[in-house]
Amino acid sequence: MIRVLIVDDAAFMRLAIKNMLQNNGFEVVGEAANGLEGLESYKHLQPDVVTMDITMPEMSGLDALPEIMKFDPKAKVVMVSAMGQESMVRQAVALGAKSFIIKPFKEDVVVKTLNQVNALK
Amino acid sequence: MAGNYSNESMLDLYIFETSNLLEQLEHSILASEKSNHISKDDVNEIFRIMHTIKGSSAMMLFDNIASLAHSIEDLFYFIRENNPREVDCSALSDIVLEGVDFLKVELEKVKAKDPVDGDAQRLKETIADFLNKLKLQNSSAEKVSTSRKETKKNSVEDLKDIPEDIEEITEKIPEEKPRYYIAPNITEPPAALSKKNWYKAVIFYQDGCEMENIRAYTVIHNLKEIADKYIFTPEDIIENDLSAQVIKEQGFTVVLRTDKSYEEMHEFFMQTIFLRELKLEQIEDQEDEPVMNQYENALTPQIPVLQTVEKEEKAEKEGQPSSSSSAQQSIISVNVVKLDRLMDLVGEMVIAEAMVTQNPDLKGLQLDNFFKAARQLGKITGELQDMVMAIRMVPLSTTFHKMHRIVRDMSKKLNKEVRLEIIGEETEVDKNIIEHISDPLMHLIRNAIDHGIEAAAERVAAEKSKAGTITLEAKNAGSDVLIIVRDDGKGLNKEKILRRARQNGLLAKSEQEMSDREVFNLIFLPGFSTKENITEFSGRGVGMDVVSKNIQTVGGSVSVDSVEGTGTTITMKIPLTLAIIGGMNIKVGNSRYTIPTVSIRESFRPKESDIIRDPDGNEMIMVRGECYPVIRLHTLYKVKTEVTEFSQGIFIMVEDEEKSCCIFADELLGEQQVVVKALPYYIQNLKKDNELGGCTLLGDGNISLILDIQSITRLVKK
Repeated sequence: MIRVLIVDDAAFMRLAIKNMLQNNGFEVVGEAANGLEGLESYKHLQPDVVTMDITMPEMSGLDALPEIMKFDPKAKVVMVSAMGQESMVRQAVALGAKSFIIKPFKEDVVVKTLNQVNALK
Repeated sequence: MAGNYSNESMLDLYIFETSNLLEQLEHSILASEKSNHISKDDVNEIFRIMHTIKGSSAMMLFDNIASLAHSIEDLFYFIRENNPREVDCSALSDIVLEGVDFLKVELEKVKAKDPVDGDAQRLKETIADFLNKLKLQNSSAEKVSTSRKETKKNSVEDLKDIPEDIEEITEKIPEEKPRYYIAPNITEPPAALSKKNWYKAVIFYQDGCEMENIRAYTVIHNLKEIADKYIFTPEDIIENDLSAQVIKEQGFTVVLRTDKSYEEMHEFFMQTIFLRELKLEQIEDQEDEPVMNQYENALTPQIPVLQTVEKEEKAEKEGQPSSSSSAQQSIISVNVVKLDRLMDLVGEMVIAEAMVTQNPDLKGLQLDNFFKAARQLGKITGELQDMVMAIRMVPLSTTFHKMHRIVRDMSKKLNKEVRLEIIGEETEVDKNIIEHISDPLMHLIRNAIDHGIEAAAERVAAEKSKAGTITLEAKNAGSDVLIIVRDDGKGLNKEKILRRARQNGLLAKSEQEMSDREVFNLIFLPGFSTKENITEFSGRGVGMDVVSKNIQTVGGSVSVDSVEGTGTTITMKIPLTLAIIGGMNIKVGNSRYTIPTVSIRESFRPKESDIIRDPDGNEMIMVRGECYPVIRLHTLYKVKTEVTEFSQGIFIMVEDEEKSCCIFADELLGEQQVVVKALPYYIQNLKKDNELGGCTLLGDGNISLILDIQSITRLVKK
């Protein structure tokens, strides 16, 4: 099973993503509510894939991403963004995010993205 | 597993989280309004809250909620990015609060499973107007475009220099002659060239995958590792989001040079996420033939700047302690349903424990070890019970702080100056009870401002401070919590109250016999209101009566005291918890009753000589010079018993507030922790006034009815 870490400050979002993933055979190994917790959890859990929100308090997704990449250059991070955040998503890609999903998202899009990202070499 | 009710828990979590966020938001904006200044942190917080609400509401398909949240998010995005010099805090607060109110109403509809159909069109227009005005005011000072696209800054600090630098760079590029992109880190070996191949790839993305231009950017970003020259079209994937549309229709085309083989390039492109179709072909050497408009790739210059920006932001953040995240670790939120279940289980355990340790089979047996172990079990059960109660206890702060909004709105509307003082907000109360306190409290505060606090001029004339003060205080008093609403307004007028009571025929006693307190407490009777005009807020005579009922529902009571001209004090007394109480079990014939220990003063066997009769023939007993009415339980509940002579039974003196009486029963059975269960509805329907506060299961399997001392003492007053 693909092990996933979910990073988002909204408990609702975390639950939504967790439900989608668990219904499709993924294992959610951890949740974090901001970039700092996300970074710590990543070091701890070493998941296969990470979903990371951009807008978060304490440490945003764009700040946590390079830290995670520094820790693990092979990290597979998928950014979670809202419509209208194109330039932030682009920055995230420039910083090493493998792909992105956009809110409000559909289950099949999320599943496909995570599967394909996990398969990247 | 969790999947079974995942939809419900999503909805619950949505409601829970959104409510909390709205409360936080209200708190922030009220504080800003008070200080007439909105800080960067507040702007950021409000932006984030609206952003989150937008996201989750869109997921739940509550589009009207998401849409309004989006409008407010846009407004605060502008404020955050452009930091306009003059923001009308009062107008901004009104807008935000109106938005909060709309969202609260919609959230109630969600809770009640009604259609979520509110129309915020007018409010959105107001927000748009406000935003336009801000933009106009700001346009002279502005160089950065005010389009909705979020710029490179994602956090808040004062980095005014950076945008301009980035601006310069993006502006510079088009002026230079377009060239092939040459990767700085791949140097061509001077002599024998490794075989370079040219390829042309056209990528089509799957329908609906969104932000195709950014996906194309991902390809380019990854391409840098393996291609030393490349060009692509559409070229404006970075700065023009409309290029996504071009890509949807025509695909994304890249021409590149690399030393990789066809198979390797194919594998590379096939890794593209959401790829629908790939056309890959090897083409002729393109060195001298630019096939499409060349575009100087601005990727490299931009990224170093980006990194500088981040370094600076990081440096600024270094000094900030992240204390709140560690604080967050030690608190978790728990679904109240689970807590209720836990409570029920503990209750069952208390009963089960009693059934074991007080089992009739054990009667008369000498079982020292057993009883020692039973005592230990009892001790642990007690601790567990205390712990569960403690978990359910919640401080009153949230409820109290909600009142700030009410005070603000009412004082604005009625043009009165009022300040709210909160004391003892850390006092805790059972979670179930909190819900029942909020509405009565709101009504009392509204009343205090509407009827109590005088207009500024009137106050000054009466030599009072211009601003009225309402004090909201909570404190523990034995097994109860007292919540006091005190105002320094004009107080209650006895005459007016008596007159109104007379008019409505509400006087049970003659006026001369009533104490001041009794007169004041008339206001809790249904249909009572001395206000001539019914305002939007009060005067319908429904309020105080409902307040009183609500408090009684949770087992509490409310009373009022006042001094005309000085102010009014309303006191709510609420039990800490209703679920498990200490009770004394008593026997009447074959029936069992339980009296809450907190109400018992003493118990004794009376002497016949102490019994007297009052003029109406009611039995009374003298105790230490005081006279107490007697209540025979067997008469009250028509229970057959052998014990009708006082000297053969037992008297239990009980009291509630200032009233006392003596209950006559056959014998005392013993004290224990009693789990209070509500009376079944068919009993409640049968006889509304039954002087019972619930029932419980005793250790020997009998059912015991719990006496409600407050109503029992009221019996004798008649």
